[in-house]
Amino acid sequence: MNTQVEDPAQEVKRLQRCISDLVGLLALPAVWSGNEPSRIVQILLDALLRMLNLDFIWARLRDPVDAGLLEILRVSDSCRLRITTQDISEALNTRLVGDGQESLPIRHRFGGEDISIFPVLLGVHGESGMIVVGCGRLDFPGQTDSLLLTVAANQASIGLQEARLLAEQKRITYELDRRVAERTAELAAANEELRKEIAERKLTEERLRHGEQELKRSEVHKAAILDSSPDCVVAIDHEGRITEFNPAAEQTFGHRRSEVLGKPLADVIIPPSLLEKHRTGFARYLASGDSRVLGRRLEMTALCIDGREIPVELTITRIPQEGPPAFTGHLRDITERKKSEDALRAAHAQVLRSEERWRSVFENSAVGVALTDLDGRFIATNLVYQRMLGYTEDELQQLTFLDITHEESVEDSRTLIGELLDGHRQQFQIEKQYRRKDGQPVWVRNNVSVVPGTERVPRFLMAISEDVTQGKLSEEALARARSELAKVARITSLGVLTASIAHEINQPLSGIITNASTCLRMLSADPPNIDGALETVRRTIRDGNRASDVITRLRTLYSKKELSPEWMDLNEAAREVTALSLSELQRSNVLLRYQFAEDLPPLVADRIQLQQVILNLVRNAVDAMSAIGDRPRELLIRTDCDAENQVQLSVKDTGMGLSPQAAEKIFEAFYTTKTDGMGIGLSISRSIIEAHQGRLWAIANDGPGSTFLFAIPCVPEGFADTEAPANPTVRRIDS
Amino acid sequence: MESPKRRDGNERPLLSVVDDDESIRESLPDLLREFGFASRVFSSAEEFLTSDCLVETSCLILDIAMPGMSGPELHQELKRRGHEIPVVFITGQRDESLRVRLGKQGAAGFLLKPFSDAALLAAIKTAMEPS
Repeated sequence: MNTQVEDPAQEVKRLQRCISDLVGLLALPAVWSGNEPSRIVQILLDALLRMLNLDFIWARLRDPVDAGLLEILRVSDSCRLRITTQDISEALNTRLVGDGQESLPIRHRFGGEDISIFPVLLGVHGESGMIVVGCGRLDFPGQTDSLLLTVAANQASIGLQEARLLAEQKRITYELDRRVAERTAELAAANEELRKEIAERKLTEERLRHGEQELKRSEVHKAAILDSSPDCVVAIDHEGRITEFNPAAEQTFGHRRSEVLGKPLADVIIPPSLLEKHRTGFARYLASGDSRVLGRRLEMTALCIDGREIPVELTITRIPQEGPPAFTGHLRDITERKKSEDALRAAHAQVLRSEERWRSVFENSAVGVALTDLDGRFIATNLVYQRMLGYTEDELQQLTFLDITHEESVEDSRTLIGELLDGHRQQFQIEKQYRRKDGQPVWVRNNVSVVPGTERVPRFLMAISEDVTQGKLSEEALARARSELAKVARITSLGVLTASIAHEINQPLSGIITNASTCLRMLSADPPNIDGALETVRRTIRDGNRASDVITRLRTLYSKKELSPEWMDLNEAAREVTALSLSELQRSNVLLRYQFAEDLPPLVADRIQLQQVILNLVRNAVDAMSAIGDRPRELLIRTDCDAENQVQLSVKDTGMGLSPQAAEKIFEAFYTTKTDGMGIGLSISRSIIEAHQGRLWAIANDGPGSTFLFAIPCVPEGFADTEAPANPTVRRIDS
Repeated sequence: MESPKRRDGNERPLLSVVDDDESIRESLPDLLREFGFASRVFSSAEEFLTSDCLVETSCLILDIAMPGMSGPELHQELKRRGHEIPVVFITGQRDESLRVRLGKQGAAGFLLKPFSDAALLAAIKTAMEPS
């Protein structure tokens, strides 16, 4: 407190500010007048927080209007502390217990700072609530602070009191208005009721006036309806006795109206099996008004006079009349309807069974079946088809059959489908390759047809597909095996050849030895038989020459050594080898001509072996012409080069020619048309050409004679490593 | 080499040779004469069968592989006709199974061409010994 008297000028300022604050506080009621209590408190708290430069201010009070608890906390913008309502309550509780007003203000530490807390009661005994202010200033609360707080508290008390009165006043006014409105509504309703009663009474009078006439008309009307109704109408009273039984009922059940009126319904048309149900249902309705049948359409059976039970549709209604309940039942014989329903059901079941059967056929077929639309998009596929291609049904439905067709088969498929859709053909068969989902190719034999549309289904394509991959593989395997077999056959024939050579040689050898032995004996005799010995020696020499001839002949034809390929010129090789035969050709009176291709590329081949082949072909040609006397004996050797980088050599004669049967047979070992040949020359020649990855064949000429040809690649596979033709042996020879 | 004894008088035993190879037909008779036999040569089985030597022939030197009737077939035919002529087969083809089969069939000898004069004489002697 002593700190406040330091400077008179400041003191004046402080007092001036206090007065201005007081004026402000006194002016507050004008601001909050007519407001809610909570709003009043808020306005007050904001004013005090600002005037007293507080850290926080807190109010707790009972709302004078609705008695709810109000707690409002305002914290100054400049306050750095986090203050909660709970903190304040705790501070008050610890200090207020027992001590009373004496120890005010309470000093309390909030988050490391001492704050002076000062509670102010609202109302004389705090019955309206309490305001608690907190301020960090050491001199708080000073005189002016206390003054302002006290005034503010009073103002608040008065304000809250006024608010309470105001609220009370409002409540009473509202209550009054409500009661007036209520009473007014009651009067209006009573009035309306009265008007209705009057109107109703008028109506009743009216009805009564027309009642009898109406009733009569109604009776007639009703009788007409009853009599002409196609439905059976049976009415009963509350005891279950029949009171009406129309002609349709007579017709249907066979009872006469006059005989059944007054009889219990149970004795007339209720079948024995339903009697118990009828009795209990009827009794329950009479006892409780509870019905499970009234107003509903039911299906049950009814009993005819002849004991037949017929299916009926039944509707029971209560007759709207005073007194004990009575009922009418409308019954309709539904025997026919039942029959047609059963027939329909049976027909439907039939259709389902049929469909099931077809589906089963489709699903369980041993071959793949696929249905596609006209664009080839899959509509349905069976399991076999799906497995064959490795796709699921759903995946296939995203695809067309062209999507999974192997590139090589796409064009064919497209063409055939086009012809199918144009109506050029009804169906077609194709063996084609598909690509499985896993990328593997699969060979399929497809039978594709157009299925004509119906009124519900547009036309579509059906493919019956069989996986023939195994078969295809076997075919390929078979072809391979055949070629293997051919090789084996050739090797075997080489074995036979060896034996044949032995035989050929052993004959003259045998003669040589026998002759020599005889010669020896003749010379050793006494006297020596010189003439005989000379003869044996001559025979020995001749046999020796024969043996030598055989060996020479075989050696030229049969060479077992590996190929030794080199770069060579086929023209040159052919010219060289035929030059050796020139004298023989002249002797045989054969005219030799060359027709060599000038642009023949060099090739990689076994020169000696190719020359053996050429020589063999030339010898054969000469032999074929040996018997010809009526036309010139001509031999043409020709070379060509084709686009596929193959070179070809042909030997054409004017000999006795070749029958079509012989054209292939001549290449087999030991087949010969010559009297002095062994029939192995062409067989071996073919082996040599095949070793060069080429082929050797024969054709009949247009004119007389035949032509033998071989074609080999310039560089057979695996021969490419051969040294480049820098070799001086390869020369160009002009023909 | 010892010449065989004459059977009776001046008559030498007759050996017949059947072979399609000319070298054999030319060379064997001289050698057989040196051995002391008379001989006749035939170029085929048929030629031999139609000759007048069937009864006289003491031993038949027979080639196996020939055009027309083969050597073994001729052998069977002779047996069928009741001619028990001892047969020495000669062949240029080495075939052991054939040798065994001919042995079972009753062949007296089997020589592979080319054969020595000693082997031939031994085979003829064995064949002509009374069994």
